[in-house]
Amino acid sequence: MAHQAHAYHMVDPSPWPLTGAVAALLMTSGLAIWFHYNSIVLMTLGTVLLLLTMYQWWRDIVREGTFQGHHTPPVQKGLRYGMILFITSEVFFFLGFFWAFYHSSLAPTPELGGCWPPTGITTLDPFEVPLLNTAVLLASGVTVTWAHHSIMEGERKQAIQSLTLTILLGFYFTFLQGMEYYEAPFTIADGVYGSTFFVATGFHGLHVIIGSTFLAVCLLRQIQYHFTSEHHFGFEAAAWYWHFVDVVWLFLYISIYWWGS
Amino acid sequence: MAALGRLTQALLRSSLTQNRRQLSAAAAGHGEQAAKTWKILSFVVALPGVAVCMLNMYLKEQSHTHEQPEFVPYSHLRIRSKRFPWGDGSKSLFHNPHVNALPDGYEGHDE
Repeated sequence: MAHQAHAYHMVDPSPWPLTGAVAALLMTSGLAIWFHYNSIVLMTLGTVLLLLTMYQWWRDIVREGTFQGHHTPPVQKGLRYGMILFITSEVFFFLGFFWAFYHSSLAPTPELGGCWPPTGITTLDPFEVPLLNTAVLLASGVTVTWAHHSIMEGERKQAIQSLTLTILLGFYFTFLQGMEYYEAPFTIADGVYGSTFFVATGFHGLHVIIGSTFLAVCLLRQIQYHFTSEHHFGFEAAAWYWHFVDVVWLFLYISIYWWGS
Repeated sequence: MAALGRLTQALLRSSLTQNRRQLSAAAAGHGEQAAKTWKILSFVVALPGVAVCMLNMYLKEQSHTHEQPEFVPYSHLRIRSKRFPWGDGSKSLFHNPHVNALPDGYEGHDE
């Protein structure tokens, strides 16, 4: 039987990086085809391929870590660095949209009426649904911390309860935000106000959906006994991502909903 | 009122953290109490905070008029340089005919 004389993980050859890259190509070119030639075939194909790639790649990682023991402490440290770097890149992604918002709102052009909010824009009351959304996400940050401590203390039932509660709060946020989008008296096509509002909050909402999905996968894994009290990095990564989503919302709330109203 | 609820939520959280730190100085096994602490925070602070905001919403909703905002054909709003890639290309993704006017005005009205 072959042994490795080191603690690192030499990953077996895998097709998923290639299928992921192909999916990205199909989705982006598909988007252009949809916009200009009214066909969604390429984009749909790309999306399906992306979903299949994500499912199989992450399934393989779970197999390698949880069942085959490849995630030794040095390997886990590498995964931690990876998640931190990824979240950092996402911070920069959102920074761009905040830059666009502040560029547009700190010196509003004459076309907008020289004021912010622009003439003719009825903003949303920051103390109605947006405030509720803030409470919902802050509460979910508390419940996900409850979940983490439950896992560390081996409290299986509490971990499942708190994780479920966190996910439900995430769904509630998405539902409320969807309703807000429908009820808003302005659209994405309403000048730079509409663009900055919907692109920034829209990408945030997408990240809430991604984060909720990540947490839901952790819930399934917790139910299936994947996590131990000492080793549950998948959950930690999901919790970090969730806190990041919460912090982005706080910045959105203060900047766009409150200051920008 | 709702803002007060949130402020209280934040303050309570930080003061409870203080208590936990003091407890840990005295007792050795503070780590075992953490799940219980966060469970209490969840049900006594976090979820009631959400409930307060929900109540605030309900009360504010009652005093709303649901009137249609006035339509003024500003050229810097309702931009249609390129059609949307769905439907007839004139309606946004979350189009609400009651509050979202098209470039010529609200639908179904003779302007």
